[in-house]
Amino acid sequence: MAEEQKKVRFVIERQDGPNEKPYTQEFDVDYRPGLNVVAALMEIQKHPVTVDGKRVAPVTWECNCLEKVCGACMMVINGKARQACCSLVDKLDQPIHLAPARTFPVIRDLLIDRSVMFESLKRIQGWVEIDGTWEVKDAPIQNPYTAQTAYEISHCMTCGCCLEACPNVGPQSDFIGPAPTVQAYLFNLHPLGKFDAPKRLNALMQKGGITSCGNSQNCVEVCPKNIKLTTYLAQLNRDVNKQALKNIFNH
Amino acid sequence: MYNVTFYLRRLHSLVGLFVLGIVILEHVFTNATSLGGPAALNGGLAMMELIPRPIFYGLEIFGIAIPLIFHAAYGIYIALQANCNPGRFGYVRNWMFTLQRWSAWYLVPFLLWHIFYLRIFTKGINGVPISYELLDSYFQNPVVVILYTIGMLAAIFHFCNGITTFCMTWGIAKGPRVQNVVSVLSMLLFAALSLVTIAFMAHYVLF
Repeated sequence: MAEEQKKVRFVIERQDGPNEKPYTQEFDVDYRPGLNVVAALMEIQKHPVTVDGKRVAPVTWECNCLEKVCGACMMVINGKARQACCSLVDKLDQPIHLAPARTFPVIRDLLIDRSVMFESLKRIQGWVEIDGTWEVKDAPIQNPYTAQTAYEISHCMTCGCCLEACPNVGPQSDFIGPAPTVQAYLFNLHPLGKFDAPKRLNALMQKGGITSCGNSQNCVEVCPKNIKLTTYLAQLNRDVNKQALKNIFNH
Repeated sequence: MYNVTFYLRRLHSLVGLFVLGIVILEHVFTNATSLGGPAALNGGLAMMELIPRPIFYGLEIFGIAIPLIFHAAYGIYIALQANCNPGRFGYVRNWMFTLQRWSAWYLVPFLLWHIFYLRIFTKGINGVPISYELLDSYFQNPVVVILYTIGMLAAIFHFCNGITTFCMTWGIAKGPRVQNVVSVLSMLLFAALSLVTIAFMAHYVLF
């Protein structure tokens, strides 16, 4: 008499280690309203049995906040780079294909190493220098005309969707990618950070910096935080060109 | 340290739009005069022959050959840095990005053939001046007509889409609205120049 339980089929691209060959396995998860990809992966973890009835090692992935704020659960879902936690099963075509974002080194299954973005943030000086050489006192006021923009860019959670979608990011190129590049603009807008703006613009002029952008504009299409990346890339292009003229004519 | 990449990339952008763009426009306009018959095109070509030879050769070497070699060589380096993915991310601008590279890959062998056969072999070595009659007989071969029409359309697309990316690269068009306007305008230019090209190619074939 019991109604047949509705299942959701997942086709997962797996990999046992950084240098191992990828393979796919299929899993069925009990459907429930509001099910998202992270919740489904948790179900698979509890009961790691493939559709063929084979018991396998549970699928590895990364997640943390479960509310599209931390960026950790970025993976390729049905071909698109996005956050697993806010990918509702009801809104996805089935079977649902999961794969790691191969722009980054794969550690295991869906778990990737995104530390390259942290290195890039160091390159563009993605921080405000408060080293005690000048008096800080109270926090300086933000420019009210640019505060909204700064707030928008500060939403960036370094998830890496834009790098995964960008055709110019990958092993064939040294482009640091849209996210770290645009962070330079955030810190250039900051009332204290702007003192180091020339440093950041010069860093963007180096190999792998903003010049490696090819204007495919995939980044702005896939950004889960709707940051107007292409607008700020164009603004940075403008700033970098001005900085280049200064470099030429100031010395 | 001296940001060589930055200056090379910006030079690549300037050369493409302002030097090679003019070369493309010159080709379209000169060939378009053939629509007015043999006398019109030959008159235009004769006018170019009036330019003193040292100036003419100087223009050919510094206005076409060197910029073209630089743009092609550095362009190949740029194209090799892209892993085109319109299949996964089929957005309009990503297709433009991909077509910009595909058109470039077609243009490299096409321009080698075009320049070596018409400029270096026919005009340079054999000393046969370029004329309406020469082109008219050249374009009786359907394979040549098809490869040349694709070559012209590829060059025009590469130039017109280049206008859009130039405006982004130089921070001229910043927001999505103005970038869209520039993109539509440059594609209208692509359509207009393509129609002219198809018209004069059809004229060579049919008359």
